Amino acid sequence: MNNLRRFILKYHFVILFILLEVISILLLANSQRFHRNRLVNTTNDAVGKVYEWSSEVSNYFRLNNANKQLAEENAMLRQQLSVVYDTTTCTYDITKGDTLFKYIPAQVVNNSTNQVNNYIIINKGSLDGIERDMSVISTDGIVGVVTDVSRHYASIMSLLHSKCVVGVRIKQSQELASLKWETNNYRYGMVEDIPTHILLEKGDTILTSSHSYIFPEDLMVGTVEEFYPTAVDALNKAKVRFATDFATLRHVYVIKDLHKPELDSLKARLQ
Amino acid sequence: MNKTVLQIIRFVVLVLLQVLVINHIRLGGYVHPYIYLVFVMLLPFSTPKWQLLVLGFALGLTVDLFTGTPGLHAGATTLMAFSRPSIIKLISGNQKFENITEPNIGQLGGLWFFRYTLFLVLIHHFALFFLESFSFRLFGQVLLRILLSVPVSIFLIMMIMFIFKSEKKRE
Repeated sequence: MNNLRRFILKYHFVILFILLEVISILLLANSQRFHRNRLVNTTNDAVGKVYEWSSEVSNYFRLNNANKQLAEENAMLRQQLSVVYDTTTCTYDITKGDTLFKYIPAQVVNNSTNQVNNYIIINKGSLDGIERDMSVISTDGIVGVVTDVSRHYASIMSLLHSKCVVGVRIKQSQELASLKWETNNYRYGMVEDIPTHILLEKGDTILTSSHSYIFPEDLMVGTVEEFYPTAVDALNKAKVRFATDFATLRHVYVIKDLHKPELDSLKARLQ
Repeated sequence: MNKTVLQIIRFVVLVLLQVLVINHIRLGGYVHPYIYLVFVMLLPFSTPKWQLLVLGFALGLTVDLFTGTPGLHAGATTLMAFSRPSIIKLISGNQKFENITEPNIGQLGGLWFFRYTLFLVLIHHFALFFLESFSFRLFGQVLLRILLSVPVSIFLIMMIMFIFKSEKKRE
């Protein structure tokens, strides 16, 4: 024991050195295996504070540069806005810049909401690249499907159509269902095939599902207005308030699905 | 001023200078100067050896906290602190430091101090850059970083020393 103590006292410098180096290398090896070491994480706040102070000070010196950068960014954003800004319709087309879908802006020239089968006529036709079965949306939500195309115009079967059924998805539960118009009020549609275990509340969001083949996924359809749980039927019903106000509809976008030919040919091969 | 307080201030100032200023200097990606080792270099000659190690380890670990590399600077700086007594012996020969309490360029001369800095920076940078790559695979690249960083570190450290020296004379 005495020998050991003398040994440690004599070589304490080397022993301590080796100990500290081993600790260092263990820390280093650990930090390379895991993303960050626990030791670093616990003191992160203090380190972050120091960096924050430093940046608060150094930011003053960079104000001039930051101003210049912000001015440049402003100019760039304005330019991008001018691309998005539609001078003929005086609206910002926020949907531009998508790669999977091409958005063709159009204006509604005729619209009805009080028929059993309502159609919308827009001022874009085959010359503008409109084709049958393209989906149509407004900035608020989905509108309908292109059913007929002329050179300069297209007619759209709106959601307010007795034959129109849209595959939808309940946002919260991811449950699939289908939406129909109730043919009496232009503001409301009906989802009739909600599984019994799914209970909805007023305000729940209904989106398009990927199963519809017509609309891109996750577009706004509407919100639940009233929920009708049923004991007789096997399925619940919900009254849905359309996000799109068909009575005041002015500007719409026709969506060209760039993958649709591919999808169609695949479906044709399956049949 | 109290010696301990001076050391603490030196510690804090050097670490902050390193992590907030020097670390943001990027000269071509290969030059990474480190000046925080000045703290270990300037510890008094009378500092117990074990204190050298502990202080070196603590200094390195503090820098590690800022750079998010636990153990890297700690290991390199501990090695440097470990070799400091031998380096002093090696470059001083029979020279005696009777009136000198800590390494300083004014009393020991520029040449002595340059050699002192050169050896310690070399040891530190070798250990640091090899620990950083954690293997000898990138040997050439690591060597290039050492070769390019060492002169810059020495230059910066010598500059700091001259600044300290002029302060001493004014007192």
